[in-house]
Amino acid sequence: MNHQVISWNAIAPRIKEFRETVYLLKRNKLTRIALLAIYALIFIAIFAPWLAPHSTHIMMDTNPQDKLLAPCTQYLFGTDELGRDIFSRVLYGTRISLQTGLLAVGISLLIGVPLGAIAGASEWYVDEAIMRVTDIFLSFPGLLLAIAIAAILGPSLQNAMLAISISWWPWYTRIVRGQAISLRERQFVKAAKAIGTPHYKIIFSHIIPNCIAPVIVQASMDIGGVILTIAALSFLGLGAQPPTPEWGLMISTSRTYFLSAWWYSFFPGMAILITVLVFNLLGDGLREVLDPKTRKKQ
Amino acid sequence: MREKMLSNVKGISSLFTILAIAGLLVCFSVAAATAAEPKVALYIQDTEPILDWDPSVESGGGMLVLNNVYETLLRYDATQKKIIPLLATSYTQSNYGMTWTFKIRKGVRFHDGSKLDAKAVKFSIERTMKLGKGMSYIWAPVTKITVVNKYTVKFDLEWPAPLDLIATSNYAAFIMSPKAVKSHNQDWLSQGNAVGTGPYVLQKSTMGEEVILRAFDDYWNGWGEKRYDFAVVKKIVESSSRRQMIEKGDASATVYLPAEDLDQMKSNPNVIVNVGPSLENTSIMFNTQRAPLDNKLVRQAFAYAFPYKKVVKYAAGGYAIKARGALPAQLWGHSKSLFQYSQDLEKAKQLLKQANYSQNSRKLLFTYVSSMEADKKMAEMYKSDLAKIGVEVELRGMPWESMWELSKSRKVEDRQDIFAMLWWPDYCDPYSWLYNMFHSQKEILYNLAYWSDPKFDKLIDDANYEMMFKKKKSLALYHEAQEMLLDESPSIFVYDKKNTLVTHKSFKGFKDNPAYPNVVFFHETYPE
Repeated sequence: MNHQVISWNAIAPRIKEFRETVYLLKRNKLTRIALLAIYALIFIAIFAPWLAPHSTHIMMDTNPQDKLLAPCTQYLFGTDELGRDIFSRVLYGTRISLQTGLLAVGISLLIGVPLGAIAGASEWYVDEAIMRVTDIFLSFPGLLLAIAIAAILGPSLQNAMLAISISWWPWYTRIVRGQAISLRERQFVKAAKAIGTPHYKIIFSHIIPNCIAPVIVQASMDIGGVILTIAALSFLGLGAQPPTPEWGLMISTSRTYFLSAWWYSFFPGMAILITVLVFNLLGDGLREVLDPKTRKKQ
Repeated sequence: MREKMLSNVKGISSLFTILAIAGLLVCFSVAAATAAEPKVALYIQDTEPILDWDPSVESGGGMLVLNNVYETLLRYDATQKKIIPLLATSYTQSNYGMTWTFKIRKGVRFHDGSKLDAKAVKFSIERTMKLGKGMSYIWAPVTKITVVNKYTVKFDLEWPAPLDLIATSNYAAFIMSPKAVKSHNQDWLSQGNAVGTGPYVLQKSTMGEEVILRAFDDYWNGWGEKRYDFAVVKKIVESSSRRQMIEKGDASATVYLPAEDLDQMKSNPNVIVNVGPSLENTSIMFNTQRAPLDNKLVRQAFAYAFPYKKVVKYAAGGYAIKARGALPAQLWGHSKSLFQYSQDLEKAKQLLKQANYSQNSRKLLFTYVSSMEADKKMAEMYKSDLAKIGVEVELRGMPWESMWELSKSRKVEDRQDIFAMLWWPDYCDPYSWLYNMFHSQKEILYNLAYWSDPKFDKLIDDANYEMMFKKKKSLALYHEAQEMLLDESPSIFVYDKKNTLVTHKSFKGFKDNPAYPNVVFFHETYPE
């Protein structure tokens, strides 16, 4: 009983803090719009096959007698070169982009965060070893490295996602390591060490939870960047393969027709723009709220 | 101090820039005053202008460039169906097509100044045969080349073959300067050098991008009043950029525009859409070495599942006709009475059932050239119809080079299952066509169905043997061979393409010759 009371006392301020964070986030107009848009995107992503007016046009059917029709009531965003409804395909593209974006960032976090924490909290030689490896990765331009990896793995959406994860994790390692170094000197870590807590436990239950705020900010901004990179890889033919309704791939195909069919490039392009924008807005909002310097001003 | 030095450097460099610009302006005005601006023909295409500069080796898209720099003994006019003399003025055959004698044109000079004679012809053909690369097999019947006198050369053959047609080949039949080739090492030509007799001289070649050719003043056939002083062949991948450049008059000619663009450009008075018959055809090659397509019934099912009509109408945009048999309608050996598949999904399903095709088998890999919009559309339509009979296909658009590389992987498991192929003749002969795509090959070159059947090999070998003197029998054998291909279905014959070369109205004199697809002989053309 007593034990539970103690842990409740420990958790209560955290819950309060979280609620305050959410409150502050929602008070910012732009962030609130971004949050609403992200809810909408997630909703679309989950229910895309049911929302799409021509669900067979997503992957299965071709309908060439209706090719390259301008937007009309039957086809809200017009049709593509094989007569498929662009509106349905853009809706479904949301699922692909969000899924691959979240997964790629998730994988990067899984690799990057523990490595950063280990580097920051361990002996100098472990730190050196990990950080020099990240330096090697960071010395390549991000997109170029992703292109190279995707080219080696072979063109497909999964491989593009892997390629991005592999080229993205070092950023998180850097951020976490910086945090971990300062945390290492803090009282509670020293205390944990003094009572003989194992090293790995210190890393995973004391250091990582306390340096997660800047990582969350970075990750939410990165989702936009990752979606953009996947679109770029697909545009180059290294990502999704036809007939997958991936936005970058759709824009890539539309290049051939853009002189006579503006809608074909425009709507997938807008979809990318909006998605990347809202994730960046959310990231900005999160940074303002989670950074102690700007949090008080709000 | 550092900043001051920097600003000094800046001052000096800007002074230099001004001087350089002034100098350039002077140069330009002098040039403009002394000579008229040189006329440039710009040909833009979606692929590299050339892959290998060695005329004995190149077997890809380099024929446009090579046919302007080098010449062959004879040329084939596919619209008139006759052979035109080029470096040879006349030829005779004797000994039942086993001996061929060519009279070589006098007064022809190579770009290095040396003279063309019978020795040069012998040297060039023997070099090609000895290297044994690319399309060199076209000379396989030749056993001996003899220089009879300075301007007469004799070919002895092992079996009767149409050597006059072989000498018109798109590839591997070019005559090069022995003097230039001998005085350099083996790779000299491949490294981007060329010494031919053609109307244009190689000025500059940037591999993978652009080739600049300069008119050869001493060309044996002379020059008309108007000519293009330079001919440039450039790679521009985006079809929309190519269309815009032609419409604005920045480019003279281009190929492989999507059908939608062609339809719209027909009404533009500034461009000419040249549509004509071609010897190019599109087919789909099945991997006959690997399950499930090693089964004839499955292949037949796949042939019945193919949406022929839709593909001709929408993928090729109507710039094609449905194929009948392996050989295109314009080629000798084609037969109008051959069986023709048409789409029948019920029959396809039935055949799959008969073949015990498992619905849960692996996804089949279908590769096509990513820059070919028509092939991409075809692949997507086919995928959608195959799904209806329970076959899952994964599409992969690739650059031709990597797609070809993958198809020649050592392990059969690494290769694709379905391959979209575009084929055109090296020389206008059914044997070369069928040999390349379906004859057993020790080392895979273009037989990308990996098809091997001694009965088929014998049929076309015999047909080729009879071709010179028993045309009817030969034709019957080719018919039988094609029926066999249709029954065994190592490949789906999709459509014969129409040639669609778009030119700007200022680009005159272009004559379409289907024997040399997409080749412009710049000597024939002139600006207006």
